[in-house]
Amino acid sequence: MLPEKITREMFDKLVSLAALELDEEESEYLRTELNHQLAAVKELSEIPIDEDVQPSLHGIDCQGNPPRPDEWQPFPDPDAILALAPERERRYFVVPEIAQLSEEGQ
Amino acid sequence: MNTTSLSALEIARRVRAGELSALQVLEEHLAQVAAVDGIPGQLDPPALDAREEQKVHAFIQVTAELARQQAEQVEAKVARGEDPGPLAGVPVSIKDIFCVQGTTTTAGSRILYNFRPPYTATTVERLEQAGALILGKTNLDEFTYGSSSESSAFQPHPNNPWNTQHVTGGSSGGSAAAVAARETPLSLGTDTGGSIRQPSAFCGVVGLKPTYGRTSRYGLIAFGSSLDCPGPLARNVSDAALMLQVLAGADPKDSTSATQPVPDYLAALAEGVRGLRIGISPDYDHIAYPDTETGEMGIQAIQPEMNQAVREVAQVLASLGAEIVENVPMPNARHGIPTYFVISRVEAASNLHRFDGVKYGYRTQKPVHDLTELYRVTRAEGFGLQPKLRILMGMYVSAAAHSAHYYQKALRVRSLIRADFEQAFDPTGPYRLDALLTPTTPTTAFRRKEVLGDSVLMQYSDQMTVGANHAGIPAISIPAGLDPQGLPIGVQFFGNDFCEDLILRVAYAYEQATELAAWRHVVPQALRAAEVK
Amino acid sequence: MTQYEIVVGLETHIQLNTETKIFCSCKADSWGAEPNTNICPVCSGLPGVLPVLNAEAVQKAALLAAAMHAEINPISYFDRKNYFYPDLPKGYQITQFDEPIGKGGYLDVHMPDGSTRRVHIHKLHLEEDAGKTKIEAGRRLVDFNRCGVPLVEMVTEPELHSGEEAAQYLTELRQLLRWIGVSEADMERGHLRCDANVSIREAGSTVLNTKTEIKNMNSIESIRQAITLEAQRQIAAVEAGERVESYTLDWDADTGTLRKMRSKETEADYRYFREPDLLPVKLSEEEIKYIKSIFVEPGEVTPPQPSHDLKSKDISFGVSISKPTLTQIESPYNRKMRFIAEYQLSTYDADILTSERSLSDYFEEAVRLSSAAPKTVSNWMMNDLLRLMNDLGKSASELRLRPTDLAEIIGLVESGKISPATGKALLKKVEESGQKPAEIVAAEGLGLIGDEDALRSQIAAVLSESPNEVASFRAGKESLLGWFVGQVMRRTGGKADPKRTRELLLEMLKK
Repeated sequence: MLPEKITREMFDKLVSLAALELDEEESEYLRTELNHQLAAVKELSEIPIDEDVQPSLHGIDCQGNPPRPDEWQPFPDPDAILALAPERERRYFVVPEIAQLSEEGQ
Repeated sequence: MNTTSLSALEIARRVRAGELSALQVLEEHLAQVAAVDGIPGQLDPPALDAREEQKVHAFIQVTAELARQQAEQVEAKVARGEDPGPLAGVPVSIKDIFCVQGTTTTAGSRILYNFRPPYTATTVERLEQAGALILGKTNLDEFTYGSSSESSAFQPHPNNPWNTQHVTGGSSGGSAAAVAARETPLSLGTDTGGSIRQPSAFCGVVGLKPTYGRTSRYGLIAFGSSLDCPGPLARNVSDAALMLQVLAGADPKDSTSATQPVPDYLAALAEGVRGLRIGISPDYDHIAYPDTETGEMGIQAIQPEMNQAVREVAQVLASLGAEIVENVPMPNARHGIPTYFVISRVEAASNLHRFDGVKYGYRTQKPVHDLTELYRVTRAEGFGLQPKLRILMGMYVSAAAHSAHYYQKALRVRSLIRADFEQAFDPTGPYRLDALLTPTTPTTAFRRKEVLGDSVLMQYSDQMTVGANHAGIPAISIPAGLDPQGLPIGVQFFGNDFCEDLILRVAYAYEQATELAAWRHVVPQALRAAEVK
Repeated sequence: MTQYEIVVGLETHIQLNTETKIFCSCKADSWGAEPNTNICPVCSGLPGVLPVLNAEAVQKAALLAAAMHAEINPISYFDRKNYFYPDLPKGYQITQFDEPIGKGGYLDVHMPDGSTRRVHIHKLHLEEDAGKTKIEAGRRLVDFNRCGVPLVEMVTEPELHSGEEAAQYLTELRQLLRWIGVSEADMERGHLRCDANVSIREAGSTVLNTKTEIKNMNSIESIRQAITLEAQRQIAAVEAGERVESYTLDWDADTGTLRKMRSKETEADYRYFREPDLLPVKLSEEEIKYIKSIFVEPGEVTPPQPSHDLKSKDISFGVSISKPTLTQIESPYNRKMRFIAEYQLSTYDADILTSERSLSDYFEEAVRLSSAAPKTVSNWMMNDLLRLMNDLGKSASELRLRPTDLAEIIGLVESGKISPATGKALLKKVEESGQKPAEIVAAEGLGLIGDEDALRSQIAAVLSESPNEVASFRAGKESLLGWFVGQVMRRTGGKADPKRTRELLLEMLKK
């Protein structure tokens, strides 16, 4: 049985999973909007649908391109990608350590 | 005569013939931008005075130098007797959701405020190769999330040139405004739920969403990967056809791009509508709207001028020899927005995962203790409310416990929506339509700030357009008059897969037949204010 | 005393040896490259770019599925697995979740005690590799060179029961991977990665108890040691009345110890959904039939054609089914058994000659071309050719010395035209010069002197120079014959035909 509305607790958990953090005002506003949207999509569950109706991943029958040949084509400027890094050292992208691991260690 | 009043076709013809200098074209359009646009959208805008309030603010970035280089190349080619391309000397603006090397590509978001991509989107590359002049990047809803272009982190957001107190629509609002205000005759936008067509309708211009896969998504910062379509905005149908011709075609960098052959969109444009079957659906003369507390669906009338416009367009087409087919059922149209709420959000939330402050773009300046905090603070500071809302909704409806109920179900309802169109266009079916005629939007452009806080109401602005995104079919919005407030009214033609040429033809017939209509010669407020001839 | 049974399941990630990554055209193998040099917008997670599938990765995965007796799915799908980690630039991994390219399957493992155990795998799927990170001064440094390399993941059922068995499974898997040409399977370079799930239960029980996961084992020996150690630890714990808790353990090869990393998290919600940027992976019925037909079962079909020049690139399908069937592949084990039966090789010899596919093809071709007995060819290869290959660091397919050359050299020795020593030396000469054996023999005058007059004059010279030895021989010291032969050899630079020399010496000494 799915919950009718998203509670504050559920919401906070969702925010954490989404790697976000929100202040009080934002939280309340977004939670309200989220619940409104859930109400709007409620009708989806009530639509009667035949067993054999398949999910559509792309509206049209997407034929697209065949897979590509296995040929090396180096990107002409990898340094330009590295140059975008907010923090880098030597040739690495740099980030802080992950708390969980550095605490647990042994 | 100022080149800002010429069509793209005409500019290209004259430049190619050596009658007109690409540099002159460029300078005149830059002058137009200077006259009507006001300050560009920016992260920390100054307070705006009354004069700025009357400006269009279509642009985040004007790329004059880039355009000048391109104009010089066009001139050089013409001088050497080489083919400068079908869009030679035509200024084009690009929605700032497309990666263009040599520019910043912000997606209207702080989180990409300084992102300079080392590659260019295929669609933009094709425009460049065709001799177009890339005049600048237009403003948009942040990450294309919205239907008013108000949510951009770069303010001021674009204003509707017909009445600057009203929104442009969105998310390709800057693009629609730039075209309507004669800043560029063409603009490249994207349409995921209606984001080309709805602002085109609000701003009184032509906007085309091609068949999914007809134009390459390579270089387009993704919102809904199974829904996004790059497409043209223009001031008339033949310009839209000209631009589509340049954009369309398979791209090996995009696995979902279509390999179907590209027809000549201009060739059949003037063939007329005699014998074509054009449908009208009772399911498109109102919207089904939910109670946001109970979820109960109710019927809501749309602005009466919209249905009236549809009637008038149908009459004109009938007088040209088309067969109008009434009462075409589209019973699943009402499920379009709920389905969209689910599918687009799931894809969006995932597509936004990569914005984490590690590789490019914004990273928080606050000291953080660990990586998790870096992610959270960066994304909290870098994203506006709309991305946050989409991320949360997307994650909720795709959670393992909910996925079957929401996401999997929505994908199947999508099939039902598609089936409605298949039946309508089936050549052996009961309706055998060549095009389906509907209003583009439930209302004309609403006032600024009127809808922004209500995410459901905002999304429902796309109820009439979103069906084409679910079904993957092409659709075009064209101007069909002005409402009593003087705001543009748009009507829409849906077409069958890869039948852009057919809907362009129908649109063209109507446009030509109404060329002399008085409403076509009203000058938008922002142009009157700038007193540009 | 309670008897315990160890229960082991292995999760392997196999790096395919395609030229390029799975979703972009960067190199698949960037071992030793400077960090962040083998990257492009796609594999470094830049916005706006899209994945494009590598056809070769699909073909190799299908080939591996067939080799593992798995069912090849004609349609399989890619899905997004969403989570945050610095080595995952898109914030999701493109993998195959519920409709993989291969379903079921097994590998028959030949255990040291002579028994054969059928180890089943649950499924076989394609996915992209993540980048690499390392810790330095409390920060993480990230390198995306490896991001996007094509991987095949296979998870066994918990059907192994010791560290030795696990080691044997991996040994045979590694051999198979190299044999069919889908992976270099070098564990030190991360081409073959393995995590082990270990639990214990009372002997005879079928219950599956709480398991621990061991990571970071970088060699087959480590795997054997780590599993053995962990099983012992669990048994000791249970005997002491403790519970086994679900932990992830890190193997430290330097100290030979296991270290708790973290408790195995409750399964994260990855919110899997179909990857909208990619189309379903399709293999036609003909393609699947063709792939399956490549594998020869024992008793089927005659010995295959030489495949030492075959690169996996040659097996291309989906493009032209009308291409003639290329080499049929026997499994390494089947070929070994056939060599023993058909060529009367010893198990030891057959083992070595089938340890590597190009070597076994080389051997078989040489046997085909040579009139000597297979055992003779085998001896030449085991003793001399392998040494040459080791010295030069070349595989059988990389040698300039081809099977036809080896057959020729063997023929020259067998027919007495050159001495065995010359023959051995010729191997290297042919390899270095690229010339044919007969050419070198003629050019350097390496042929044995079998001409009687020439020999007689050499012998006469030796006899006249060594009157004492001649006298001793004639007095009865017949063992000196060997010495005389040696002297003739010295005079002729080893080119005297030893047999003929002996005969003539005897004749001339006895005069």
